[in-house]
Amino acid sequence: MKNPYQTESVKITKIEDEGSRSRLFTFAAPRGFKVKSGQFVEVSLPGFGEAPISLCSDPSEKKKFELCVRKAGMVTGALHKMKVGDKVGVRGPYGRPFPVEIGKKRNLLLVAGGLGLEPLRPAIWEIVKNREQFQKVQIFYGACDENDLLFAKNYDEWKKKIDLHITLDKPKGAKTPVACGVGVVTTLFDHVKLYKRPVAFLCGPPVMYRFVIKKLKELNFDDSDIFLSLERRMHCGVGVCNHCAVGSFFVCQDGPVFSWAELKDIKGAI
Amino acid sequence: MTHSELQQFIAFLMERGWTVFAPEKRPDEVVYTKVEDAAKVRLISEPPLHSFKRFLVPPEETLFEYKKDKMAEVKKMEKQVIFGINPVDLKAIVMLNQIFERDPWYQERMRRTLIIGQSLIPENAEQNLFQVKYEEDILEHLQFDIFLEVQRGKYFVYTGSEEGQKILEDFGYKNYEHIAYAGPIKEEGLDPAMVKYRDALRKNYKKEIWEEDVGARCIECGKCTLICPTCFCFDMKDQPDLVGEGGTRKRTWGACFYNDFSEVAGGHKFLKTTAERIHFWYYHKFVRIPDQIQIMGCVGCGRCAKVCPVNINIFKVLAAL
Repeated sequence: MKNPYQTESVKITKIEDEGSRSRLFTFAAPRGFKVKSGQFVEVSLPGFGEAPISLCSDPSEKKKFELCVRKAGMVTGALHKMKVGDKVGVRGPYGRPFPVEIGKKRNLLLVAGGLGLEPLRPAIWEIVKNREQFQKVQIFYGACDENDLLFAKNYDEWKKKIDLHITLDKPKGAKTPVACGVGVVTTLFDHVKLYKRPVAFLCGPPVMYRFVIKKLKELNFDDSDIFLSLERRMHCGVGVCNHCAVGSFFVCQDGPVFSWAELKDIKGAI
Repeated sequence: MTHSELQQFIAFLMERGWTVFAPEKRPDEVVYTKVEDAAKVRLISEPPLHSFKRFLVPPEETLFEYKKDKMAEVKKMEKQVIFGINPVDLKAIVMLNQIFERDPWYQERMRRTLIIGQSLIPENAEQNLFQVKYEEDILEHLQFDIFLEVQRGKYFVYTGSEEGQKILEDFGYKNYEHIAYAGPIKEEGLDPAMVKYRDALRKNYKKEIWEEDVGARCIECGKCTLICPTCFCFDMKDQPDLVGEGGTRKRTWGACFYNDFSEVAGGHKFLKTTAERIHFWYYHKFVRIPDQIQIMGCVGCGRCAKVCPVNINIFKVLAAL
């Protein structure tokens, strides 16, 4: 029996600042490692423990993968002190990804709040790199301010292929790579005309889900056309420890991506 | 098997290097202790305060030893016998066996564990909530190595595994009957009590139970999670050595009543109130586990009610669902 908790050692090949509070780490991918939008790995730093972190890189890159990490706890704090050439342990990828394939038949609306852009980035790259295979795609992205904008270097390339809208909750008036609106992400629904009958992929904090889902329901989205990624505390990552349980689901295995049809009757899901 | 033969059998196991744990009657409580003298082992109808749980799912266990970035799996387990488990608690073993079916440490520990069950079941609802009876077909739905059916001062011996058979044969006892395990679910179908509680709890959220009654009384001490034979939630954490670059990755019992159980980076908690936490505990046992493996996540031993400092009684909560 293979030990599901055994980690694989991977080398950091690149570290860049991402916004003012996060860092983008590039790792040499183990053989056969596949990135899917919404999936995560357990990052293991012996002495500090493990933390689940979303994959955020281009799925077509087979030799490397990226994790965008904000310093928020023990493991992420230790990771921020590491250097190129250092090794970390990973296990996974785990979880059910966003159903990106739907975008080949239906228009897509990607709504991200704050760090929520990270798990959606593999989907964005997949669409941008295979543009002709997909229907129309819009991105609504809300960040706190200019300093928190993630993946700003990518916007030019994305903009050519995808209808990208960004809004800042508390703008500081600094220069931004693309023109940004002011307000929380839901304000974009008042200014931007949506494509016809899109399927929505959401990733952000629970408060964003409550407001965005309300908007989407006003716009007559089916519950089964809304997909969202849940954040929960995780220890095992393999559906046993129960920290991430939501109703009868385990976010680590049954999620993190769920349809709203699956979650809407579960108290405390968002 | 006579009682003196049983004592000889226990002595035989000890000579063969097995550590034997058996219930012992103390002035206050029946507790599991390590057997030093096989002649003192007896079957006790009253279930021990703490179940077998800590022998199969230790409160703390080392999963890995690490040195810098190298992780090495650790499996240090001794041969152990858990003696005298009644059918109510054996149901908890059936459940744990499924929950940890892919867990390398649990499985390794089980391979080195001999489970000896026995048929004395308490009749009172406080210790046998679902009124489990020692009936004809009960054994084929339980997992054990050896089972002793108590018959007027003697025991009829059943085996439930090859290991059990082999050890009895080595001891020189052949008059046993083998029971083939038929899975946890009876031929008649799903346990009607499981279906009833699962459906009630899934369909209704009764504020008057969770928020006004138990949620208002519970003090989140977590005693019920410690004492429960089926509570298995766990935490994983690293413990660095004080000197050097090594340490261990450990697994410890978790408790869904504790503050950090649902806390994520940044401090947000998904189980914020006592009501949410106690509802989560019940939901796990009576909905999530049934949804996962079609059996109840509670065996009805009543230990949680016995240790609860604010008298939350699982019997009453279930009746109110």
